[in-house]
Formats: sequence, structure tokens, C-alpha cells
Amino acid sequence: MTYRSDFLIGTTLRFLPMVTTILLWRAVYSGAGKASLAGFNYNEMIAYLLLVHISRMFSSMPGLAGGIAREIREGTLKRYLTQPVDMIGYLTSYRVAHKVAYITMSFIPYAILFFICRDYFDKFPDLMTLGAYAISLVLAFMVGFYFEVTVGLVGFWFLEVTSLLYIVMTLNFFISGHMLPLDLLPQPWQAILKAMPFQYMAYFPAVVFLGKVEGTNLVYHLLGELAWALFFLGLARYLYRRGLRRYGAYGG
Amino acid sequence: MMGTIGKYTRLLGDLARYTLVRELAFRGNFLVKISVEVIWLGILVAFFRTVFARTSTLAGWTEPQYFFFVGCFFALNGLIETLFMENCNEFAELVRTGDLDFLLLKPIDEQFLVSCRRIDWGTAPNVLMGFILMGISLVQMGWHFDPVRIAAFLLTFTCGTTIAYCFMLLLTSLSVWMVRNQSLMEMWWLFSSLARYPKEIFAGPWGEPLGFLFTFLIPILVVVNVPSNAMVRVLDPGMIVLTVVATFALLWLSRRFFQKALRSYRSASS
Repeated sequence: MTYRSDFLIGTTLRFLPMVTTILLWRAVYSGAGKASLAGFNYNEMIAYLLLVHISRMFSSMPGLAGGIAREIREGTLKRYLTQPVDMIGYLTSYRVAHKVAYITMSFIPYAILFFICRDYFDKFPDLMTLGAYAISLVLAFMVGFYFEVTVGLVGFWFLEVTSLLYIVMTLNFFISGHMLPLDLLPQPWQAILKAMPFQYMAYFPAVVFLGKVEGTNLVYHLLGELAWALFFLGLARYLYRRGLRRYGAYGG
Repeated sequence: MMGTIGKYTRLLGDLARYTLVRELAFRGNFLVKISVEVIWLGILVAFFRTVFARTSTLAGWTEPQYFFFVGCFFALNGLIETLFMENCNEFAELVRTGDLDFLLLKPIDEQFLVSCRRIDWGTAPNVLMGFILMGISLVQMGWHFDPVRIAAFLLTFTCGTTIAYCFMLLLTSLSVWMVRNQSLMEMWWLFSSLARYPKEIFAGPWGEPLGFLFTFLIPILVVVNVPSNAMVRVLDPGMIVLTVVATFALLWLSRRFFQKALRSYRSASS
């Protein structure tokens, strides 16, 4: 609270992109002259674009991959080797704690934002859906986390992964469905992107909340999300083991 | 007067050459920066192609007209990022560490030195990419050559860039008072999101007053809107005059504000 003016300006500015997004989509719907585009009506579209922020809150990992790459490059990685702490385990608990604190901190601004925009939510989801939504968010965290760890661990082979990371993150903005629901895309792009793990970082939790995925389809997708999380977990572990052998060869 | 202009032009040329050499020392990094920008433009195009697959006009803009707008925004923003973004971004750091002292001691205008020290060549191709996109959309809409429109476009494009720079300088100056500033880059991204769309989307009960506010009182909306309109839609002399007047007013205002900020700057340490 020491930096009140800072906070005030920051918060006001943060609302601007949401305002322009709402106005833009209103113009799109009035231009199209249709109530529904790719199964999303105007309210659902805005609700979706608000909900992806929640997805990203769970799945985005600022500084994770870059941090791992730096530890490899600068040799500080050895503290995990000399102490009885597993690096991936340590990073996981650190990140979980960080996320819990961050999500608690931003709860109030988001609560206000969603309260202002409550009219865009036609119906509140039932308990089953909410449960599935919670699971999808936790899994979104896992997919995002292990994916970034994997990218960071590539640093064992290439010294400079931050550049790779920039490219991946830029692409991710679109292919995760952060900018628009993947359903709007033409085929085959839609099918391709829906088969990729990135959709679980933004698109999937949002459509679960909106009740667009139901029944067996929902179970099937949640299992798919779990599979991707486990896949990246396995891949990260594998790269870490292989990488350490290389790392040892250089003598740290 | 002419001597002063000559001196500053020469200085700018030297700074440009110096930063280009520095940048090319890390060629890989330079290439990555450019490819990220190419991807970003690709994403924008993909996004609006998707939107225009569902509607033929967006707030009265047809698809080629809209892509002209996107290209114009991309070029203008690229120009701002190339010339001023990194410098302004660094200003907060200079204030925090007190290194600003060294700049103030130099016998050159402070505003010039703070805003033009470095040129970020990594975003310079954005200007070119933006103009290519504008060119493609002009061909697609079957645009007829019109020197008056081109002149109006060039004038308002320059004014738009200047207005955007003034806003950036205003945001930058704030960091003298708010030492723990969030990154200017983020603030700028959030603020410039207003300039990213045609002003016709500001419709409806609360959109319209906002549109008025950001056109006449805080004229960020005119930055891309007026040049694009002048080139591919309605050539409105009133808006052009407004843009020129706003440019001079903002130049004056932002300079005053910057100097006020410098006066209340108390160096770091001791």
C-alpha cells in the first residue's frame, strides 16, 4: 500500500484491454448479424475471454524455464546435487506456494472484475461442472509447469533457451486459445490445435466452466489433460537425468 | 537554429550507427527478436482472418480496410518501439539508481538524451512489415492512387507517431514520483491497447463516452485511426486538423511535464 498511486494507475490500465476486447467482440457480433458464432453467443464469448485469464493464472509460469536454464548455465544447479533435494520436486513446491499466494492476492481484483461483468454469465454452473473445472485448473497448472520445466531443461544441450522460450510463449498466446475460442478456427487448424497440449493452458478450463464439454466427453478430455501432464512430467524427468550426465561431464 | 537542428541530427545518426553495431554483435539474439515479431504479426493476421470469416464488416470496416489499419498500427508501434521504447523503459531504472545525474550533466537537451539514446533495431523491421501489410491490403481493395490522400496519410502518420511518443513520455515522467514503477513496457502495452482498434467499436451506452474521452480529451484513439481513415476511408479534414493541433498541444504538455518531473528528481544516495 506504500505505492498507492502506482497501484491505482496499474489497476486502471489493466482494465483497458478488457474494455476494448468487449467492444471489439460486440462489433464482431453486430457485424455478423448472428446471435451465435461457432456455438458461442455474445455473452458466452465475453465470459470465455474473461475465463481464459483464470486459466492462465494457473498455467502460466513466469520465469520458470528461464530460471532453470540460468541455473544450468551458471552452474548453480549443483546445489541440488550436493543437497538431498530433488530439483524438480523443489521447484514444484516453490511454484505451488507462489501460485497459492498469487491467486489469493489477485482474488479481490478478479472478484470485482467478475462482479462487474456478471451479466455476461448466463447461468452459474452446477456443482459437477464446478468440480470438473477445479480439476481442469489443477491439471492446467501441471501441464503448464512441466511443459516449462521441459523447455528449461533443454538448456543442458543449448546454452540459450530464452530465445526459444520467447517464440514458444508468443505462439502459445494464440494456440492455447487465449485470444479466441479454438472453435472459431477453420478446419484443419481447429482439429490440430485441439489435439495439442496447449489448449489445456487456456481454452479447455474455460469451456468446461461454460458447460460446453459434458458427460463422457468431459471425462475423456480430463484424462487427456492428465495424460499430457504426466507426459511432460516424464519427459522432464528423463531430460533431467540425461542432462545431468552431460552436465557432470563438464564438471559443473 | 539550423545549427542546432544539424547538431542533433548528426548526433542521432551517430547514436543510430553505434547501437546498430552493438546489436549486430549479438546476431542470434537479433534474429530471434525479429522472428518473434514476425510470429506476432502472423498471429494478428490469423486472428482477424478468423474474425472476418464470420463477418464481412467490423464496425463499418471491410476486411482489406481493416488490414490496412492493422498494418498501420504495426508500423507505427514498431516505430515507437524502435526509437523510444527501450530508452523510456530505462528511464525508471536511471531514476532509481541515480545514474540520471550523468545524463543531466551532458551539454545536450535532457529530453533528447533520455528519449533517443538507444535505437532498438530489433523492432525496426516491424515498420517495414507494417507497410507491406498496408500495401497488400491496398492492392486487395483496388485502391486508386490519390496524392492528396497520401499526403494526408504521411502527415497524420507522423502526427500519430508524435502523439504516441508524447503519451509515452508522460508515462515515463511519472516514474520520477513512482520509484517502484511497474515496467513501462507493460503500462505502454496496456495503454496502447486503446489505439489498437478502430474508434467505431466504441459504441453503446458506455462505449460512446469512452470513445469521446479518448478522441478529444486524451487523444490516443486518433493515433492510428486518423491516418488509416485518411488513406482508405473518409478523408475528414476536421479530424486531420484536430490531430495536428493535438500533436502540438501534447508536445508542449509532455515537455513541460517532463521538465517538471526532472525538477523534482532528487538523485539517489546521500
